[in-house]
Amino acid sequence: MAGVTDAAIEFNGLSKSFGKVQAVKDLSFSVQFGRVTGFLGPNGAGKSTTLRTLLGLIHPQAGTATFGGLQYEQLSHPSAHVGAVLEEASFHPGRSGRNHLRILAAAGSHPDSRVNAVLEQVDLAGAGDRRVKGYSMGMRQRLAIAAALLGDPDVLILDEPSNGLDPPGIRWMRDLLRAEAARGRAVLVSSHLLSEVSQSVDDVVVISHGVLRGAGTLESVLGSADGPVTRVRAGDADRLATLLRQQDHAVEPDGSGALLVRGALPEAVGQVAADHRIALAELVAVARSLEDVFFELTEGEA
Amino acid sequence: MTALLRAELIKLRTTRTFLALTGVAVGTSLLICVLVSLLSEPTPEDVLREVFAADTSALFIVMLAIVGITGEWRHRTITSSLLAAPNRLRFLVAKTLAFAAAGLLLSLLISITIAIVGMIILSARDQPTPELGELVGQIIRNAEVATLMGAFGLALGTLVRNQPVAIVGVLMLAFVIEPSLVALAPDVGRFAPFSALSGAIQEMSAEDVGNSDLNLLSPGLAVLAMFAWIGTAFTAGAVLLKRRDLH
Repeated sequence: MAGVTDAAIEFNGLSKSFGKVQAVKDLSFSVQFGRVTGFLGPNGAGKSTTLRTLLGLIHPQAGTATFGGLQYEQLSHPSAHVGAVLEEASFHPGRSGRNHLRILAAAGSHPDSRVNAVLEQVDLAGAGDRRVKGYSMGMRQRLAIAAALLGDPDVLILDEPSNGLDPPGIRWMRDLLRAEAARGRAVLVSSHLLSEVSQSVDDVVVISHGVLRGAGTLESVLGSADGPVTRVRAGDADRLATLLRQQDHAVEPDGSGALLVRGALPEAVGQVAADHRIALAELVAVARSLEDVFFELTEGEA
Repeated sequence: MTALLRAELIKLRTTRTFLALTGVAVGTSLLICVLVSLLSEPTPEDVLREVFAADTSALFIVMLAIVGITGEWRHRTITSSLLAAPNRLRFLVAKTLAFAAAGLLLSLLISITIAIVGMIILSARDQPTPELGELVGQIIRNAEVATLMGAFGLALGTLVRNQPVAIVGVLMLAFVIEPSLVALAPDVGRFAPFSALSGAIQEMSAEDVGNSDLNLLSPGLAVLAMFAWIGTAFTAGAVLLKRRDLH
């Protein structure tokens, strides 16, 4: 098939503006099967526009957003390939949760048995026959997730899925995302809850003002632009700094007597110290939080 | 298409609005039929039109269709609908067929009910009753109008997303603008969908439609004219839906 790629989802030069507002600008990244990809950005960064464009709900001015090379509308059975939970998921308030799912099952040619299965999966089996207007926000979110799972899809797209969920619900969501990725599915999840995302994603994509600011594995993004950072406290700090600089590492004092070595893992720093018989009192990788990276990449606008 | 049509039919029957409006449509039709059967003394020539054309399904199916499509925007269910059916034209065709089918079924339910009730009352009062063949013909004509109106209402609803505006607009069209046109400009009014064309399809007299000078189209031409109205509104609605971004 022409244009088919290995990536589950691929954005290529995607651009969309509303009037004079450029919502998404030349956005390119991909999402792989078997991994949870966190899609991060401040409010108004263009996350929802990007996801809605991917799902054919918004028309891009330029570029493509495809599933294995095919646009959403070109998929033969869309809901069997892609399940989506969008922000502000809405339901007819007078319709029961079960009937909402029956409609989607019928439209997607999925057997009615899937309705009961997904209601059980999201813990709504007991409330399936109640009208949606009586549901809590968390229950509505679970219903939206049930709808996404209806076609047992290969790709899951979730826009702020933790909204409205209580702490046990958030943990349930995190486990669900991990389980779906473990089954080989691609999961793309946007969220503003950085602590939540950091516990459940493999890869991270950060956008701001519609522009890609960073993308990669969680580990690589948590490193700095210069690579990993190591803090070392040595008996002869000046000599160690000189030796490390000779190996093209950026070295700077951290203000407490230790050195921060950019672009080197602790193993490499330890090897240099051992080769030159320099005693070390501390040797650790400096872990930055996802929040630190997020604020750096988005220039603190969140 | 069958799957989408099935989904749309489930949508129709899983809200209370549909059941409530169906109940009101049956109730009002029955009330009119009972009152006319009890109080009037129709001639054999007039009995069919006076008693058995009291099917109000056309009006109610138009309202239901407008509520059905504008409700997708009002409750924001249009997003999940288009995720399940990303081809927007197919979605709209399925919805149109669903409301046409609903109009047909609603009309048959009402027409058969009033036929039975009307025949019983007229017979009990020794009033003239129509032949069975005439009665079946009237039921079919009522159903034709309701089927076309289901499709027309849906197509109109695609043009205006705001539910109250769409409903008030159609009521104004049906009860103010069209009657004015029929009365003041009968050459234009004969193409009015809610009154003149529906009346022509039901083989009503020009006087029943509101102007004895009105030159009603033949039933066949009236059906074609209704198709033209539906096609025009549907095409405009489909173009709008196709272009629209769903935020």
